Formats: sequence, structure tokens, C-alpha cells
Amino acid sequence: MENLIELKDISVISQEYSTLVNITCSIPRGRTTLIMGPSGCGKSTLLKVMAGIIIPDSGKVLLEGRDYYSLSDKQVLEFKKRNGFVFQDSALWANKNVFENLSLPLRFHFPEMDAAQIEQKVTRALEYINLSDSIYLRPAQLSLGEQKMVSFTRALITRPTVVFMDEPTLSVDAEMKTRLLAMIKKLKAAHCTLVAVIHESAIISMLADNLIVLKSGMILAQGPFNQVINSNNTELKGILNDILQKPSSYDQNILDLLNE
Amino acid sequence: MISRIGRWFILKLKNASYALGFFTNVLKEAVLFVRQKQVGVKVLIMQIFFTGVEALSMISLIALALGVVIIIQGLSLLPTFGQGKLIYIIMIIIITRELGPLLCAFIIIARSGTAIATEIGNMVVNHEIEAYTAVGINPISYLVVPRFFGVSISLVLLTFYFNFFGLFASFLFSQLITPIAFVEYFQNLLQALQLSDILSSLLKSLAFGIIISIVSSYNGFKVHFATTEIPQVVIKAVGQSFVLCIVADAIISTIFYILK
Repeated sequence: MENLIELKDISVISQEYSTLVNITCSIPRGRTTLIMGPSGCGKSTLLKVMAGIIIPDSGKVLLEGRDYYSLSDKQVLEFKKRNGFVFQDSALWANKNVFENLSLPLRFHFPEMDAAQIEQKVTRALEYINLSDSIYLRPAQLSLGEQKMVSFTRALITRPTVVFMDEPTLSVDAEMKTRLLAMIKKLKAAHCTLVAVIHESAIISMLADNLIVLKSGMILAQGPFNQVINSNNTELKGILNDILQKPSSYDQNILDLLNE
Repeated sequence: MISRIGRWFILKLKNASYALGFFTNVLKEAVLFVRQKQVGVKVLIMQIFFTGVEALSMISLIALALGVVIIIQGLSLLPTFGQGKLIYIIMIIIITRELGPLLCAFIIIARSGTAIATEIGNMVVNHEIEAYTAVGINPISYLVVPRFFGVSISLVLLTFYFNFFGLFASFLFSQLITPIAFVEYFQNLLQALQLSDILSSLLKSLAFGIIISIVSSYNGFKVHFATTEIPQVVIKAVGQSFVLCIVADAIISTIFYILK
């Protein structure tokens, strides 16, 4: 399987604290790679390094075998055009309304599209996620779940072939989660390269082709999903059990709390 | 003790080289902004509106008050020495050459400088800058360059407006003390006005605009994680802008004095 992204000896130091230490891993094209690990182990940072959002302090990021940081501006833009990123906290642009949040990537990457085409595309996308009425609302006027859906739609609006997702189902209610999962499954069926940080066991077993497990900024295990899951490494098993038993959204957690 | 001084010095050097790199990057992107059709044009128009148009009322009031103060002091003092005509030269020196550009800069630091640093700082904390990078939009090109142009253009225009309004306000108020014909007043002013006064005013306002936009944006980007850092960088942006504007004012005044 051809690798789309390869990281070689990547280290990231943030505020004199090592977030990632000598990470070497690869993301195969057309497959779904999940990143797991305890809180604060550097999953989001690793995802952002892969997507070219965070520049590592040392090491190499290879995109289709070429050094990402020696690519021309045009080549980087071409990569960005065909990738989407869903942030853990949605990261919608607060001073823009929902329409502007969704239309900016289109206006930027497809200058040939006229205003009517952009409006049609955005309107259709919002109809799909049931947020047509919120088109001129600011992100602060949306619920967290709605913000996540808009963030997800923003990542997909340019029809990317690579999608990075940082906890896409966090703070999303059951109905929206179902809708989100349907969209993710569609992407997988279309052989998009998916890289995600997800903690919910049901979603993991449904999506994962490959797994990367981090601990304290270092890779504890990586490889095909079944191989990693069935590993005899007791430390790995302990971490996976810990992560998978923790409900990742308050919607689930609250019922447990009420029953206690 | 020596190692602490060494560390402090290295940190200062690092900060200076980072600031220089930031400035160079802004200049590079500013050239590209002019050449390319950019999505940032709307941001530029909004910046000119916020910095230029919305500051007009405050600028008018201050110009009016300054014009009145100069005419009162001048007309009460100069005629006693038989130097009544000097009032025109004094007005040109104070309003056009010195206080016009400087007071406008102070108003813009207080209004737009603080707004720019706060807005960018908030964007960093909310990962909005990362979201721009994820889409492929260069934050310097999209966020800083329009502010760089917007603040600089607005400050030049506001300074000329301030000069004109201040001198006109002086005329209006002089009618209450010693009425003088409109044509005679402006003829005397034009005789006192030299090309170097206009050039000095233009150069100063342009330099102040560049300083305020770059310093405010630079400090905004220095926020790392928390909203509590934002007031700190705003204070730094205001302090540095004030100091650099006054230093630039002294340098430009000296250059014009030498060239005279």
C-alpha cells in the first residue's frame, strides 16, 4: 500500500516541553488510520503535524515521498485543496457567519466559481446537515454540536480526498452523531484517506484499518488495527482498555452519573 | 548571574530575529497581495472602514480642539511681540508637521492597534489561525496584510483630514477673537506651508501606519494558549507602538531638518 504521508523522527517542543518525541509513522493512501492514546499524549499535535498545520522542531514530513517543507507554495496549496481538517473545538471563524465559514475555502481554492455556484453549494451542504435556518448565524449562536457539524462540512466542502479529524464526535448529540458517522462511512467507501483521533470503541471497530497508539508523546504501537488490538503487550492493552472504557461525550456520561 | 544574562540576551536576540522575519514576511506577502486576486480584499475594505471612517468623529473633535488651542495661545501671545504673522508658521509646524500625524497615530493605536492585537490573539486561542492554515490560507496574507494596508492608508488619509480640519477650525475660532478674511487667512497659511511640510506629514503618517499594524499583529500572534495572555500582548502592542512612533517621528523630523 502506497504511503501518502510519512513522518520521520518528528519531535515537537512546545513551551520547553516535548509534545512529540522522535515519531516515525506512515499514513497509507485510501485507508483509515486512527490515533489513540491517553489525554495529553500528543494526538492532536501529531494530527496537525501530518496536516502541515504545525511545523515540527525536528524530523521530516514526507508527502507522497517528497519533503513537505521543500514543496513549492503551489504544491502545498494543491495538497491543502484536497484535504480537510475537523478540529476538536470546531475552530470556526468567529467573526464570520456560517455561510462565510463554508464559502471561504471555496472562494479561495476555486476562484473560477461564481457567487451563485458558491451559494448553491453552501446551501445544499447546509440542507444536508439540517442547518439551513442557521446560514447567517455566527458560530457563537450555534450549539456545540451544530458547530461541529459546520466544522465537518467546512472540511468537506472542497470535496477532499484526505480528511483529518480530531475527535469529530465530541460534544455531538446522538442524532447528529448518526449523521456524522454516515458521512464518515461515505468518505471511507469512497476510498478517502482518513486520519482521526477517536475514542469511541463502536466507531473505532467500524472504521479503523490502521492504528497508532501514543503514550507521552511517543509511539507505543502502530500497524494494522487487528494486529495492534491483539498484541500481547500488557502496557498497550492497559492503555487501550482505559481509553475505550472512558465515554468520550457528556451525552453518554451524564446517564452514568445519574445512575450512580 | 552571567548565565542568566546570557539567556536573557539570547532570548532578546531570538525575539528580534523573529520580529524581523515577521516584518519581512509581511512585506513579501504585501507585494503578492497587490499582484494576486486575493480573498483578503474584503478584509482590507473592512479595515479601512474600522480604522479610517469610524475614527473620523474623534479625529474631527481633536483637530478642532487643537486648532482652537493654538489660535488662542498664538493670538494672545505673538501680537505682543509684533509677531502676529508667525501664527501661520506655528500652526503649520504644530498641526501639519508634528502633532497631526502623531495625534492621529495615538488615536489609531488606542482604537485599531488594540483591536487588531485582541482579535488576532483570540483567533490564536480559538485555533482559528490553525483553521486558516488547514484550509491553505496564509494567515499573514489574509489577516495581517489587509490590516497593514488598511491601517497605513487610513492613517495617511486621517492625517490629511486632521491637518485640514485643524487649520480650518483655527480660522473659525479666530473669527471670534480677531476676524480675518477667509482668503487672507488661507493665503497666509499657504505662504507658510512648504512642500517639505506635506512630505514630512505624509512620510510620518505612513511610517506610523506601518508600525502600528505590524506591531499589533505581531503581538497578537504571540499569544499561545490562554485568553489571559491577550491583555498582556495588547499592553505590549500599545507600549511598543507609542515608543516606536515617537522614535520614528524624531528620526523623520531630524532627516527633514538635515535636508533643509
